[in-house]
Amino acid sequence: MGTALFDGTEQLINGLMYGCFYALVGGGFTLLFGVLRRFNLAYGSTIMAGAYAGLIPVYLFKAPVLVLFVTTIVVSVLVGLLVEFCCFRFLRKGHELAPLMTTIGMLIVIDETIVHLTDAVGLKYPAPFGDESLALGPFLIRPDYLAILVVSIACFSAIFWLMHRTRFGRAMRAVAERPEAAQILGVSVRRVNVLTFVLTSAMAGIIGFFAAVSVGSARPEMAAWLTGKGLVVMVLGGLGSFPGAILGGLALGVLEFEAVWFLGSSYRDILAFSILFLILMVRPGGLLGSRPA
Amino acid sequence: MEYYIAIASIIGIHAMLGLSVYLVAISGQMSFGQQGFFALGAYLAGMSTALWGLHLLPALALGVVVAAVVGLLVGFPALRVRGLYLAIATFGFGEIVRLAFLNVRYTRRIGDRVVGPNASEGFRHVRYIYDRGITPLEYLGIILLALAVVVVLFFALERSKLGATLRAVEEDEVAASMVGINVTRAKVFGFTAAAGVAGLAGGLFVHYSSYIDHDMVALPLAIASVTYPIFGGLGSFVGPLLGAVVLVGLTESLRALHDAREIIYGALIILTMLFRPRGLVDEALVLRVKGWLRPRAVRRPAPAP
Repeated sequence: MGTALFDGTEQLINGLMYGCFYALVGGGFTLLFGVLRRFNLAYGSTIMAGAYAGLIPVYLFKAPVLVLFVTTIVVSVLVGLLVEFCCFRFLRKGHELAPLMTTIGMLIVIDETIVHLTDAVGLKYPAPFGDESLALGPFLIRPDYLAILVVSIACFSAIFWLMHRTRFGRAMRAVAERPEAAQILGVSVRRVNVLTFVLTSAMAGIIGFFAAVSVGSARPEMAAWLTGKGLVVMVLGGLGSFPGAILGGLALGVLEFEAVWFLGSSYRDILAFSILFLILMVRPGGLLGSRPA
Repeated sequence: MEYYIAIASIIGIHAMLGLSVYLVAISGQMSFGQQGFFALGAYLAGMSTALWGLHLLPALALGVVVAAVVGLLVGFPALRVRGLYLAIATFGFGEIVRLAFLNVRYTRRIGDRVVGPNASEGFRHVRYIYDRGITPLEYLGIILLALAVVVVLFFALERSKLGATLRAVEEDEVAASMVGINVTRAKVFGFTAAAGVAGLAGGLFVHYSSYIDHDMVALPLAIASVTYPIFGGLGSFVGPLLGAVVLVGLTESLRALHDAREIIYGALIILTMLFRPRGLVDEALVLRVKGWLRPRAVRRPAPAP
């Protein structure tokens, strides 16, 4: 096998695994947007808050990684409910910009609280999967990426099951389709909204854990980075389409890894945003979405 | 005193950014990419004076023109998408510009300094106002003069047919096109002019601070420039001005509280949106004020049926 082809394949494998992580981020944004028809710009901050909070039991009691993982999820859910309560629940209907602004306000509050509490320094994260690369045939892969792959597949399966096999999932899809009609038929839109926040915030906890693990630390830049990537993935796949978000995440992961390897790391983000811009111009509905109304 | 001059300068520059977003918003669009035009204006104007030895005025003009031309080129394809899609597309554009400046190196050695855009180290030593002996107070005058010109243009725009056209597009694009308004042209005009205003703000900023780098035109600046008009209100150009004065003034006056001031800032935005979802100066308030200002004779009671 030629070197370029070999390297390309190795980066393809890594890109697909890391793409699962992007798919999770984009999926969280997509689920919220699909049901609420609104952006939650505080989602990146929810993720970051969970990642930081997970470290508290570790620093205090030297708790095992499992406790850290559970703490990230629990705290993310609590922060998510706080976002719903402060930014969405009491907002008057019919103003598209107001929820954008309230979540920006929340983003500032959460980020600054974390910066204030930690003096803006990154906190070291444990490496539960070790840092020895695993050999998959001739290719070397990172163990934490492999864990991301396994966990995100579990996550996606659970969400598909939830969406298509349970009463809650049916209510969620009904609200996403037509909130008024769903309300008339007896679906509590508020309940669905709150439960959607619980679901996506639990995802945020998982995302936060893996984001911090793959970088090796919890950092204040995480929120902006994840928000940027999440929005790109969401648009790539088509706003509100969950399978589209998975596809978009995988595509972004592969493209970034190939770009870093063949073009150098300084072109990685510029490539992501150029693709975003082009896709919006050529296919405004995203890869799997319909044309926006 | 110098402290207050600095705050006033920042308010003037940020007010222009707010007006830039506002101009896009009154045709019903939302841009998260004005910081990209700000960066273009800043780098171009800075290179003009620091590297090419131009006078400040043509330098600023060059920044405005380049930003506006790019705005036109970006606006045509970008305005095919609407609402939240456009918000993301424009943010993508802003990031592309920022990341481009993160990689561009175009420097020259002048004396013992390296001048020019120097990739991740930023663009240092834009020393025009120091070399010419312009004091901060005089430069504040230049900023406020430029702001006054922009405000007068906005004042005229809001009273012109063009202003009404933009508002009509915001209300209902289909209805607007039914009465013969070229919707695309109106939107692209708004976007191009807004890009020029952001470019002007950038050019003024780089000479004020003598320095700019890619970090200064990232997401926080996008958020700030969007916050001014939405917080201040989209009913009139007074809204973004008020937003910039209140929010910049507030962060500065709360300096004694250190980090807590940012938290208060965020909380204040949330509270304002809950009670006034169209901002402080919304359309209803503008109509009421216009009612007060109108001569009494015109305000006849409605004829009895």
